Amino acid sequence: MEKLLKEQDVQYIKELFDRDLVDPVELVLFLESEGSDKVTAANSQYLQHTEEIAKEVSEISDKIKLTVYKDDKEKEKEYGVKEISALFIQGKNSDRNVVFYGIPSGHEFSSLLEDIVNVSQGTTRLSPASKEAARNIKVPVEILVFITPTCPHCPGAVKTAHQLAMENKLIKAAMIEANEFPELSKKYNVYSVPKVVINEKVQFEGALPEDMFLNKVLSAVGESQE
Amino acid sequence: MDEFFTAPVVEKQAAVIPDALWDMTILGAGPGGLTAGIYAGRSGLNVIILEKLSPGGQIAVSEQIDNYPGFPDGISGTELVERMEKQAVRFGTRIVMEEVMRISKEGKLFVVTTTGNKKYRTKTIIISTGADPVKLPVPEEEKFRGKGISYCATCDAAFFRGKDVAIVGGGDTAITDALHLTRFANKVTIVHRRRELRAVKALQEEVFANPKIMFQWDSIPSHVIGDEMVEGLEIENVKTREKKVLKVNGIFAAIGTVPNSKIVRGIVELDERGFIKTNHNRETSVPGIFAVGDVRDTPLRQVITAAGDGAIAEFSAENYIKLMER
Repeated sequence: MEKLLKEQDVQYIKELFDRDLVDPVELVLFLESEGSDKVTAANSQYLQHTEEIAKEVSEISDKIKLTVYKDDKEKEKEYGVKEISALFIQGKNSDRNVVFYGIPSGHEFSSLLEDIVNVSQGTTRLSPASKEAARNIKVPVEILVFITPTCPHCPGAVKTAHQLAMENKLIKAAMIEANEFPELSKKYNVYSVPKVVINEKVQFEGALPEDMFLNKVLSAVGESQE
Repeated sequence: MDEFFTAPVVEKQAAVIPDALWDMTILGAGPGGLTAGIYAGRSGLNVIILEKLSPGGQIAVSEQIDNYPGFPDGISGTELVERMEKQAVRFGTRIVMEEVMRISKEGKLFVVTTTGNKKYRTKTIIISTGADPVKLPVPEEEKFRGKGISYCATCDAAFFRGKDVAIVGGGDTAITDALHLTRFANKVTIVHRRRELRAVKALQEEVFANPKIMFQWDSIPSHVIGDEMVEGLEIENVKTREKKVLKVNGIFAAIGTVPNSKIVRGIVELDERGFIKTNHNRETSVPGIFAVGDVRDTPLRQVITAAGDGAIAEFSAENYIKLMER
């Protein structure tokens, strides 16, 4: 397969990783073969590219390790994999709760790079107030962020959701590439991105600033918190 | 497959030193702000760009730009903006993702306060906050926003595969969006309040030749119909007052822009529509504050004019700094 990353961009990313990566990061990628019920006409064409981009990114730094599980139902269960492909970013402040469903391409490639740096440093760029509010959540939260790779406002929502998850292991945050999962997009009435669904009940469209995003999360957990 | 993987430069710049005194603080990383950043960086100014969402501004959602010189085959908005970012960062300009909450004056200096109460002390400010799309003027806008009403064809077109959609507007953006939508939608109806399009001739020729595109002339939207999701758009003929319903699942609006000037309301002079008043040096009514691109009272809102504004404003700001320090 032809390389997806241009040589010049590899150089940019290498500089970034050399400067900013601290502790090891593991990229855990789940794939399944043609014929599985999770591989459809919508996502099958992306699986090979997703594996390739994960491979190319992990080869840029020896602090990044790529593990690929193919048709491994047991591991999928352990990680709580919902869709294929699933790419988990594992490190100091994440444990099976920061995930990309579908390819992190286009504008979302920046989300992947930022996640790797945050996880490697074991920290996030959220404000101190947001960090504290996120850490104080005591019930499970699931945040789904539907995106398309051509949407420039979408990485903001993905990065915020993923960083909230890095602050609190009870929060699971997933990017969902809407083109690859039309059934799921239909289920949640996604007609505009970014669309965020929190614990199945709170939904909103558009990129919200961090504090307003957090308020939506808090309103979703509100009742169960008390 | 239209994937692209390019490394964002935003992450690889020099660290921002807290409590620094900035020569120039630029609000917004669209083509105007980034051009000012390139010029300021090359002049050796200590310059920072603050951006609330992601660099690019409105142009980042443009599929194809055919009127920016130097790109004979056209270029996507995203790629053009990424190139500008890389160029600005190359000359030492910092770009950070923070939303500006407040601007205040402190002696000869300005203080720009962002989310999280971070403060930037600066000698000059360039406002390049751009503009947002005008909301569809129907009573049901809020109810159906994101449920069939969209303002970003590049982001959302794929959700209307095989469906019928309407696009409201007749300018370059509306026509470019209509053409993009034909790649997914079954039928695209352009609803325009006049009998002819405002878009440039080249785009008009393309749109009239496209068999998937229909027109409703002299028409304005009056209501959006549907239960949970958009099921139709009621339009009114402005001449005959006749009303009819288009059966569509998607409505894209491209009917002009509103300036993002809230942050300077009450500080600099605005025109009656909220655009920032500037002179030929791109100075606002407050010395030391400049405005560029879509947010100012300009006769033409394009990438090239925003970029030109950025260069002029940076030049004026440099002169202002020299006078200030004399």
